[in-house]
Amino acid sequence: MVARSAIPGFALAVARLFTIQAAWTYERMLGIGFGFVAEPMLRGLRRDGDGSAFRRAVARQSRYFNAHPYFASLAVGAAVRAELDGVQPEKIERLRSALVGPLGSLGDRLIWAGWLPACAAIGLLLVALSAGAWAVVAFLVLYNVAHVWLRIWGLKAGWRSGVSVAGALATPGLQRALEIVAPVAAFLVGAALVSVLAWVPAGGRWETLAGAAAALLFAGLVRAIQPRATGMVVAGGVLAAVLAVGVLW
Amino acid sequence: MSAASLLALLAVGAVVGLDLVSVPQAMLSRPLVAGFLGGAVAGRPLAGLAIGALLELFAFETLPVGAARYPDWGPAACAAGALAALRGGWDATWMVGVMVVALVAAWLGGLTMHLARRLTAAQVRRREAAIEAGDPRALMALQLGGTARDALRAAALTAFTFLLGERVARAVEAGWRAPRPLADIAVIGTALGVAVWSAWRLYGQRPSRRWLAAGAVAGTAVLGALAW
Repeated sequence: MVARSAIPGFALAVARLFTIQAAWTYERMLGIGFGFVAEPMLRGLRRDGDGSAFRRAVARQSRYFNAHPYFASLAVGAAVRAELDGVQPEKIERLRSALVGPLGSLGDRLIWAGWLPACAAIGLLLVALSAGAWAVVAFLVLYNVAHVWLRIWGLKAGWRSGVSVAGALATPGLQRALEIVAPVAAFLVGAALVSVLAWVPAGGRWETLAGAAAALLFAGLVRAIQPRATGMVVAGGVLAAVLAVGVLW
Repeated sequence: MSAASLLALLAVGAVVGLDLVSVPQAMLSRPLVAGFLGGAVAGRPLAGLAIGALLELFAFETLPVGAARYPDWGPAACAAGALAALRGGWDATWMVGVMVVALVAAWLGGLTMHLARRLTAAQVRRREAAIEAGDPRALMALQLGGTARDALRAAALTAFTFLLGERVARAVEAGWRAPRPLADIAVIGTALGVAVWSAWRLYGQRPSRRWLAAGAVAGTAVLGALAW
């Protein structure tokens, strides 16, 4: 057993966490990146015997893994902890497999459908309020405080918990965040989408009203043709048609 | 735009393209940021921010979830920001052309990312034995290779968007004959329409729906305060 307070290779592992998806593939998904992040933390195993334990552990941690990239740090911490504690390889592989679903779902709900839209909405609100460059600064700082904290917290919590990592997911703070993030994001997005009309460039009141009406009509059109085409594809087609009308008028 | 500025734009485009998946996922790739940075390279960051904010409305639609193929907004928005800055101020006829090209480029970005991933997968297969032997050098080589491919892909996409976008925007601006508000309404209507649809899809269920409505009311108050 290694001392629970010290995380070997912590700084390098944290730096590598930001590259966890650099070698993403459909076969292994985050697997290569997972092994790359875990490798500095596993170097303690090199001291044992001929280093074969280290190489076997690195190979194991480079196999298929998928999760939200920020929450993958939790799995890295737990899996490395288990490796250094001498847990059986089959158990470690089961641990990694068991974390795939929960960590993916947690990240999708908390970050992609919650925190990111909330921060983007704040950015758009600030643009509408003529904050200029501060809108970009506020968006980046706000988003990344949570982003960086999550990556580091995940690595530490996974390391502390080892094979009992499921307990870290039940942390009251995380559960509370899950409860409030969707309503907060919904409120901010609702406010931002209306406020956007304030900066309809070069537009007077009639252009603003016409823009709002066109947006509602267009949203209805996109909804009606789902799932045959995305809104982006439909918008590209409509704008190309407007472009042709504008030129051929 | 000078050759040095164009090179700087490609470098920024590569950085924001890398950010989406490879490194560091700090949301530099969001159109709001990438458009601003592209505008800054061309000397007018706020002009870039304006089109970046419009493209941000489109970006609400797609969540960068795992194996799903999603648009790559960063390089497209970066180039669009630079094009908006080159124009100087807001001109919707110019922006219609830029936005059409940016939408195509973002879609192409998703496609090229898929191709880059397949190339990475081929590299992984080539190094399978070394990976299974736990060789850290193989992992490092794959990480660096994946990052380099992604950077080149993003830079090429930025160049494509900028060069094609400039030609299209100039042609549209010169040939536009319809009333100009049509262009304004089309640009804001499509961008905001996609965002409204996306917001409804994300938060249209209880209990988030009432918060979405409350936000819209608050936004209307903000809009009213700004208008009067």
